[in-house]
Amino acid sequence: MSPESRTEQRASDAALIARIVRRDQAALAELYDRYACMLSSVLNRILRDTQVAEEILQDIFFQLWRNPSRFDPARGSLPGWLMVIARHRAISQLRRHNPAAGDELAEAAVVSTFNIESAAAQQQLLGRVRSALETLPAEQRAAIELAYFEGMSHSEIARHTGDPLGTVKTRLRSAVETLKRNLHAQAASTT
Amino acid sequence: MNAHPTREADFDLYALGALEGDEKLALELHLAECAQCARKLAEARGRIAMLALAAPRVEPSPAVKHRLMAQVRADAEARTSASVAPASSRLPQSREHAPGFFDRWRTAIVVPAFALLAIATIWLWSQNRKLDNELAYLHLQMKVQKSLAQEAQDVASLVESRDTVTVPLAQQPGMPAGSAQVMYNAKMGMLMYEGEIAPAPPAKSYQLWVVPADGKPISAGVFSGRPDHWMMKMPPGVEPREFAVSLEPAGGMPQPTGPMVLIGRA
Repeated sequence: MSPESRTEQRASDAALIARIVRRDQAALAELYDRYACMLSSVLNRILRDTQVAEEILQDIFFQLWRNPSRFDPARGSLPGWLMVIARHRAISQLRRHNPAAGDELAEAAVVSTFNIESAAAQQQLLGRVRSALETLPAEQRAAIELAYFEGMSHSEIARHTGDPLGTVKTRLRSAVETLKRNLHAQAASTT
Repeated sequence: MNAHPTREADFDLYALGALEGDEKLALELHLAECAQCARKLAEARGRIAMLALAAPRVEPSPAVKHRLMAQVRADAEARTSASVAPASSRLPQSREHAPGFFDRWRTAIVVPAFALLAIATIWLWSQNRKLDNELAYLHLQMKVQKSLAQEAQDVASLVESRDTVTVPLAQQPGMPAGSAQVMYNAKMGMLMYEGEIAPAPPAKSYQLWVVPADGKPISAGVFSGRPDHWMMKMPPGVEPREFAVSLEPAGGMPQPTGPMVLIGRA
């Protein structure tokens, strides 16, 4: 990315959504450029199937085009909302549930204090998330990854790892508490 | 209303999909009635969603965007034609005079016939537009398929050509683990990279360079490290001395600035 494009004025997600409501195709293309790679990464990580991941990726953006007003900028963050939908659709596909699942989450509010509308901000947050995950003990990190990327519940993780259910619950609880603390601490130190 | 969850982490565990059974049910019952906790869940969703960033970076193929935008264009045109149809189906106003025998006939037969004809015309017209859109979409798909077929043909030509050199790239001491190879054909001006390197550190990218016998290195692709494979056209006639992968600031640099991770002599 050239320095010029890093500093150029960028339309906010909310402004782009408003343009999509007015059927502006360029606005959708801009949002796609902004978040497709991020969604593609999580879809591929969950599905491990590029073709299916790309089909879901295309459909998520097409649904955004068809029903942009389902996302309410006043209720939260667009990338967070897109990632919640992408993850649920991928996990649902993985488990051979309804491939259109995730739709029930379309109205879900997703509030995020992380602004990742620019590639630079995405990179910065990526570093923070990875570093927050790295601070976790290996077994906590593994539990978080099984829950997030494989869509496993407490008891499924216990069956998968062979650990007692109580241990898994404590492990995951500690992991999310540490992650929350670390992400907020890093956010505070960078602002 | 049942009680607020006693542990804040429950919101994150719910967003993560880990909660189940009675714990999940109790939280859902409470969320339906408590705006304050619904807000906490929305925040937890936002926080947990960011875990997606831990996934190794995978750029979608450019064909996805092409297909999406073709689909969007077809949809936009279909909507336009649907919104035009009701406007053009309006019938002319009848003359204002006392209804006679023929007027009654007109009202009873001619007007409905015109209305039916107008509706049929509009329907056929909109079907025609729809088919046009579908045809345009298929045409675009065909173009994408053609370009994929061309790429496959290029790979076959590169692999089969006697002028193609295959250069293994070796890991440099102290650098992230990885191995790769480059197939290069100076006459055809084509290069194919295939390899696997440990994911690049945050805010960094790997960059492949063709180092000519004389002149500055030429960038031949920026990537983030994982099993990677791509093919690209190069200026024909460049005789490489070596190929190298360096670690650069995210997005790559015009010339190498970082340490060399892999190197192979041509």
